[in-house]
Amino acid sequence: MFEVRDLTKRFRGLTALSSISFELREGEILGLIGPNGAGKTTLVSLISGTLVPSGGEIHFQGRRIDKLPPHRRAHLGIGRTFQVMKPFPALSVLDNVAIGALFGAAGGERNRARARERAREWLEFTGLGRYVDQRADALGGPDRKRLELAKALALHPRLLLLDEVMAGLHPVEVDEVVALIQKIRSQGMTILVIEHVMRAIRNLSDRLLVLHHGQQIAEGSPRQVLEDPRVVEAYLGKRRV
Amino acid sequence: MTRRWLPVAVAAAALAAVPWLGSETLVQYGINAILLATLAQGWNIIGGFTGYPSFGNSVFYGLGTYGTAIAMAQYHLPFGVGLAVGAVLGAACAVVFGLPILRLRGPYFAIATLGLSAVMSAIIANVEIAGKNIGLILPLFRGDLLFYELSLGLLVLATATVAWVSRSRFGAGLVAIRENEDAAQVMGIDTTRWKVMALTLSAVFSALAGGIHAYWITFIDPASAFDSTLNVKMVIMTVFGGPGTVLGPVVGAFLLSAISEVLASNVSTVAGAFYGLVIVLAVVFIPRGLMDVSSGFRRMGWRYFADNVRRHRL
Amino acid sequence: MGIPDPAPAVLLLGQILVNGVLLGGLYGLMALGMGLVWGVLNIVNLAHGSLIMLGGYCVYFLYTGAGIDPFAALPLAMAAMFCFGYALQRFLLSLIIRSAMLNTLLITFGLDVMLTFLAQLAFSADLRTINPPYAGDNFDVLGVTIPVAPLAAFAVAVLLAAALSAVLARTRTGRAIRATAQNLTAARLHGVNPRRIYALTFGAGAALAGAAGGLYGMVSQITPYVGVTLTAKSFVIAILGGLDRPLGVVVGGVALGVAEAATALYLDPTYTNVISFGLLVVLLVARPAQLFERA
Repeated sequence: MFEVRDLTKRFRGLTALSSISFELREGEILGLIGPNGAGKTTLVSLISGTLVPSGGEIHFQGRRIDKLPPHRRAHLGIGRTFQVMKPFPALSVLDNVAIGALFGAAGGERNRARARERAREWLEFTGLGRYVDQRADALGGPDRKRLELAKALALHPRLLLLDEVMAGLHPVEVDEVVALIQKIRSQGMTILVIEHVMRAIRNLSDRLLVLHHGQQIAEGSPRQVLEDPRVVEAYLGKRRV
Repeated sequence: MTRRWLPVAVAAAALAAVPWLGSETLVQYGINAILLATLAQGWNIIGGFTGYPSFGNSVFYGLGTYGTAIAMAQYHLPFGVGLAVGAVLGAACAVVFGLPILRLRGPYFAIATLGLSAVMSAIIANVEIAGKNIGLILPLFRGDLLFYELSLGLLVLATATVAWVSRSRFGAGLVAIRENEDAAQVMGIDTTRWKVMALTLSAVFSALAGGIHAYWITFIDPASAFDSTLNVKMVIMTVFGGPGTVLGPVVGAFLLSAISEVLASNVSTVAGAFYGLVIVLAVVFIPRGLMDVSSGFRRMGWRYFADNVRRHRL
Repeated sequence: MGIPDPAPAVLLLGQILVNGVLLGGLYGLMALGMGLVWGVLNIVNLAHGSLIMLGGYCVYFLYTGAGIDPFAALPLAMAAMFCFGYALQRFLLSLIIRSAMLNTLLITFGLDVMLTFLAQLAFSADLRTINPPYAGDNFDVLGVTIPVAPLAAFAVAVLLAAALSAVLARTRTGRAIRATAQNLTAARLHGVNPRRIYALTFGAGAALAGAAGGLYGMVSQITPYVGVTLTAKSFVIAILGGLDRPLGVVVGGVALGVAEAATALYLDPTYTNVISFGLLVVLLVARPAQLFERA
């Protein structure tokens, strides 16, 4: 349902991504890993529309989308979280998520009250139910990550792009998030996850894709990829994970 | 719901009754204050809700002034048509200039709007039909009462519109743009289109205020129509009163107008320095405007002001 | 004697270039302070033009009141403006430095209004010019008139820009300033005191504005109201030149100066402001990429 062909991105002489190609099947979880600066967030930004590709194509559900602006892609059903979180600070947690419900897939709700109800549901789903009326900037680190997630979910996306939602969490919190992502997948969404927490991504992903210096160096099942010598050298180090 | 609107309705009725209760000077002062409040509400939509501080909204006021004046003085059309012409001119300008300029963020946008007003003024000063530098004279209409009630009606309309914005999906989108434009985009908001719509709405109210003002004072020229002090005033009044609130701009406009009238009658040039001081103090101590003070005070008492400073200092 | 007179059109072009470049150097100096403050503190100082205005009045009164030659009065005015700027940043602007950009725009806007009116109160709205005895002198080069005072102003402007460049690149304080501009947290870790650096930078910006004001008073007139136009022009030039790259800013100033001179001679002097603002709008719309990098 989703395909990237030969995707390339250049910034003023620096090639951030070159010729990336891969596919996603419906309901799949793809893990995107690689050292810092490999181009993972750039790839996600290209998919969500925040950045414009220098070359290549992106196809989503049979349509070519690489020329569409970000809000149109959101309407089509692509949702993302930001690694550097972007909440709406002065709004309540509820309203933050309600924005997603108001403007998300297929143009979203027309009615603010109904959007708020749906937002409540997503907040319960992600475990933020008790923070409903607090200001978004009053939340602590891990809860902010959940808020990012809830906001993206409220768009009711078909494809969800998660950018390091587990960074900075301790192991118990990581497990909670992993369970959450699995719950999300069981609702029928296709997910692309960027992560550094190896334990989590290995258990979560159906397939892994490895980026290094903007290039695709490996792709396949977690076992295959994590034992690939090139991946070990570039990213994992000599120890077995 | 009704309980909140009752005091407002009472205040509006009281204001409407002023021409029968007050002196002629009071009515004239009232018209000026009310038109300023309308300008402030217009600014509120683009500056307060959307977070794009335009320092050149006087360009729409000026276009409204000239649209009405040209329609009435050169083509002898009725007042209503003149107002409509002014509003259309203002809206058109908002769309034409808004599209490129609204893509700029923060300070770039603000300063681009500064230039806008000056450029338009220079252009008008060279247009034949607008009377060039000499200006235009409109047909005379005696009757401050009509202008007063008309201005008040416009203010009520503007405030009702802002109230609608604050509750609507449109307003939610504008606030999202203000709070985090990147996030707003990926969440499905067509930010450019909505910013232009906000600016256009703002422009229409400014233009209508300009049109009423033109017919009232009967004589216009480029300098007075594109009066740059209006930019100062509408921004200050909204920021002081409460950007992004429904009644903030109105309260701010009336309060500051009253105070500056009092000062002007005593120490004339201090008025300007006064406005500057107000805004400096307001930005430091009440960055969310007057409307926030009451709820802030209830939460923290006098510490509210110190807290505002603490949160934003180096 | 030997060299024939060049054709009138070429002469005109030459005159435009000379006028433009000389004025442009001064413009560049004006923008220098604003660009520095913007690049380091991320403050767009809408009161910058008023600081220039104040510097101009400083030099004016030093000249007419104490008889000091304007060029000699420049360092004094710069010192005074430095102190003023330092205090302004240290005690007022630092209070809102972490709030939204809108607030810094508004507060400097408010300051600008205040300074303008206070100047009007103190100095009246009369036009003032700084007229040292050599003000009207000029000399001829190949048929093009070169006025002495603007030439000297140009020289001072370039000198100050070079000095600023050197200070930023070579001295310890200069490096601290650049470090703070790039990464406040890292700079702090290296022992930089941001309060001091910010205040120093703003003071320097004010001092440069003051110098520009003094020079401006010699080539044009000072009133309390020149602030707004000068702020806008400084803004255009700062963007053109690249914020905290001093020599680039001077080049940007020259570009604007030449554009204005050309407009004045070929079109109409009243259009010069329109040109500046028009250029500003075109610039902003046509070069978003460069701007988004800094914003």
